Amino acid sequence: MSTELVTITINGSRHALDVEARRTLADVIREEVGLTGTHLGCEHGVCGACTILLDGQPARACLLLAVQADGAKITTIEGLADGDEMHPVQRAMKEAMAFQCAFCAPGFLMSTVALLEENPSPSTEEIRKELSGNLCRCTGYQSIVAGVETAVRLLSSTARPGVEQ
Amino acid sequence: MSIQTSGLGFVGQSVTRIEDDRFLIGKGRFVADVQPEGGLHAAFVRSPFPHATITGVDITEANRLAGVVAVYTGAELNEGTHPFVPFVASPGSYSPLYKPMADEKVRHIGDPVALVVAESRRVAEDAAELVVVDYDLLDGVGSIDKALAPETPQLWERADGNVLHDHTDTYGDVDAVFASADRLVTLTLHSHRQANQPMETRGTVVEIEPATGHLTIHNTSQGPHVLKWVIAAQTVDQGRLRSLWQFLRNTPRRKAFFAAAREFRTSNAADLKKQDNAAMKGQLKKDRSLLKHLGQMGLGLLAKDDYPTVTSVDIGGGFGSKGPVAREDLPIVVAAMRLGRTVQWIEDRVENLADGGHAREERFDVEIAVDDDGTMKGMRVDAIVDAGAYPSFPFGAHVLPGMWKVYMPGPYHFEAFQLRTRIVATNKGRVVPYRGPWANETFVRERAIDAVAAELGMTPADVRAKNMMTEQDAPSHFLTGPTIDETMSTRKTFERALELIDHDDMARMKADAQARNHRVGIGIASYHEAAPGPPDFADAMSPGAGILTKEDGRATVEADGRIVMYTSQVPHGQSHQTTYKQVVADEFGVSMDDVEIVWGNTDTSQFSFIGTGGSRGGPLGAGVMRSTARHVKNQMLEVAADMLEASVDDIQVVDGNIHVSGVPAHGLSFADVAGEVANRSGVSAGPVFSHAEKYEGVGNGGWSCATHVAVVDIDLDTGKVEIPRYLVVEDCGPVINPAIVDGQVRGGVAQGIGAVLYENAYYDDDANLLTSTYMDYLIPTAMEIPEIEIEHLETLTKGENDFRGVGEGGMIGAPAALTNAVSDALGIQVTEQYLPPTRILELAGVIEPDRPSTQGT
Repeated sequence: MSTELVTITINGSRHALDVEARRTLADVIREEVGLTGTHLGCEHGVCGACTILLDGQPARACLLLAVQADGAKITTIEGLADGDEMHPVQRAMKEAMAFQCAFCAPGFLMSTVALLEENPSPSTEEIRKELSGNLCRCTGYQSIVAGVETAVRLLSSTARPGVEQ
Repeated sequence: MSIQTSGLGFVGQSVTRIEDDRFLIGKGRFVADVQPEGGLHAAFVRSPFPHATITGVDITEANRLAGVVAVYTGAELNEGTHPFVPFVASPGSYSPLYKPMADEKVRHIGDPVALVVAESRRVAEDAAELVVVDYDLLDGVGSIDKALAPETPQLWERADGNVLHDHTDTYGDVDAVFASADRLVTLTLHSHRQANQPMETRGTVVEIEPATGHLTIHNTSQGPHVLKWVIAAQTVDQGRLRSLWQFLRNTPRRKAFFAAAREFRTSNAADLKKQDNAAMKGQLKKDRSLLKHLGQMGLGLLAKDDYPTVTSVDIGGGFGSKGPVAREDLPIVVAAMRLGRTVQWIEDRVENLADGGHAREERFDVEIAVDDDGTMKGMRVDAIVDAGAYPSFPFGAHVLPGMWKVYMPGPYHFEAFQLRTRIVATNKGRVVPYRGPWANETFVRERAIDAVAAELGMTPADVRAKNMMTEQDAPSHFLTGPTIDETMSTRKTFERALELIDHDDMARMKADAQARNHRVGIGIASYHEAAPGPPDFADAMSPGAGILTKEDGRATVEADGRIVMYTSQVPHGQSHQTTYKQVVADEFGVSMDDVEIVWGNTDTSQFSFIGTGGSRGGPLGAGVMRSTARHVKNQMLEVAADMLEASVDDIQVVDGNIHVSGVPAHGLSFADVAGEVANRSGVSAGPVFSHAEKYEGVGNGGWSCATHVAVVDIDLDTGKVEIPRYLVVEDCGPVINPAIVDGQVRGGVAQGIGAVLYENAYYDDDANLLTSTYMDYLIPTAMEIPEIEIEHLETLTKGENDFRGVGEGGMIGAPAALTNAVSDALGIQVTEQYLPPTRILELAGVIEPDRPSTQGT
């Protein structure tokens, strides 16, 4: 299999990687970079567990090839916290006890960060609509929606931290 | 002696989750995250046909691919294993023995026929496509009717046709009661095949220690101890005589075995005495090879000194599907043993949708004998279960008849009840337990009650009120056997639910809906579940079954004062780590940080048949944590009293400060006491106090009870069903952590909503699976699941551990409440559980029935 050299900045660190052209971004993040916080639930773009931020936009890492991310800045769940300080969205999800098994959590966190970047005060209906690209089998979603609403509150009451890219 | 905390204690508080400290930063350790250095990756070659004879498997091309380490045919892998044998034998049942891989025949789409092991998963998958399998196609059996049709070929040669179980249980004088009733209400109810679908698929990573051959298996199992023993037993390869000789010569092993056997017999004497072996004898009559395999596996186990270690750390949901052993676990172990290298298999979603576990494809002919005043006197049900191809080990469809026969009459006064259950084999994926595996007893009964109400011109609530047990019924016994105790509070949940329904508002909503070409309806469902049930519940299902339901646990205090608790529970979303810390911290009167919970490793946890399942985590899991913690605490207070030169009766503990009453300034901490004992005995690390226990929920047991109310709003233009209100009034006793309990209830209801409105694991009549991706099997999203209101009642008992289980109830009530609500909205009696928009429009008379578009998805 032919390989390509790609340079991807993940959570602020530059990675030069020689990867097979057919490898997905999710596999490269998990296996080559060793960041296993991004999860694979369906590998066909429906469940959203693998959602990452690609140049600030939410994207399915299972549907992207790593070569497509050449030169891009990527944020994964591991890149949200500032050292030991959780990102407000992480703190909010903890406070709202949003998740159970939390296998879906990386996708919901990244989708929520993206949503609140674009719309800092979404209505409940907007939250449900925006998160409908992420599946959770444990919670019935109510606690996750509450987590997003908590994040809105936390973000509006504190200085807004940018996500490092 | 008294224990106090300055706050209210942790139990009863929505303490935020300890688990989230790792999950929310991406540091969970799920099976696919283990990734050992140099590990090999496996991919299965699976059958694309429902039913066929394998006439050839050519692995030549696959073997040639660069990066491939080994390719094995099913037959080659099966040579290294014994078959799965029946674990649960119920009266009138036969379970076929089967090998982990398909070698002569394939019996469903996705049946594994060969295995590729390669340097990477992508190469393994490439090579799997190069394996050439020749099949002679056979007729696929894709429905209950086809399985039972006389012209349909038999799928398992030793079965009676395609019937694997046929048994009738009768309670009361059914004929006399039916003859005495004013009328009979009959209906036939169906539920469709559903899939548990946790967000994490199954997976296993098998590491082998080169020097010793010791296996460490990282797995998604809800029951790692059963997996450990299945792996050990099914891979033993020694001949019987050689095994016996090795066992007899190995004195320590022999002594340990007989000591353990004695201990097992003594501690389970009562249950063992009750067990009736007739069912297993019936099984043996059908297939005597069971004895041969059991003998070989038993002796092989005796001869071995080393058994696998199974670890389950973080698991991404299961809902029952990760309880049974995955067939795939065996070939991966055989491959790792043959290659002497780490081999891992992480299931993909397509595999999971085909064989990760299905449930609830069942049909019921129901008759209710009722008097004109609404008194329900008798219930007669003829049930048939589509069990798919291979019976799950250890628990699958064969557990249903025992559960249904105890539960089905529910919280109502029936004078007589009869249940016939047949289990049939088809060419479909395995049936596994799915969150309240018995749930259709509630669907059947509660749907039938609404049909009775319609027949008599009464309201569904009035029929329930007339027949439902009250608090005055305790103590007595259900018609089907178990004790009705003070925890049997379904009536309280029902009456509270009725108070919370605003009837004026309902009338308004119904009228408004008509004007919009919508229809609004309301549905009620009430039930009780054994969580864990009174001590006689297990016996009512199957005499002596209590042997499976005990829970082991261990409390230790280390030399440095840390309280370390060992549980046999295997969390996969239920937040055991947080809730057990709450319970134990309160018991000691210390902070939650002082307590550590250890789980998920068969080397450190005690044996459990079930692991996590059956809503046991609160009543039994937390029960044994509290009970063992109390024991150790009492040992420590004895020592503390000695150190303080006081009587233990005068000792008080306030916020972890152990002191003589009134003299807190001269107090000790639990760490001081542990340190003192460590000093005295010259121990510098490890446990200085320890207590292990086999817990049976002493004197408690109990029922969890609930009533669900669903309000639906149906758009007659589109067939879309919205749920403007969903209410659960439930009673699981005192709640350890309200937010976590609410999450369990809501998650269960969401799966019930999914089951009725969106999800269908659909096979055609020839057993071709049409729902193999998430584009076809529809998991509801945040757009579809409404807010769910929950009200807790907390019926207390005199028992010392009063928690009752809550994990399964949401899923039990929801299909019944929703189908009742749709029936009310449309003014009809719905008889199926799957109600997608096209079916809703058919039922409403908007479109013609039986159009092809109504089939499946």
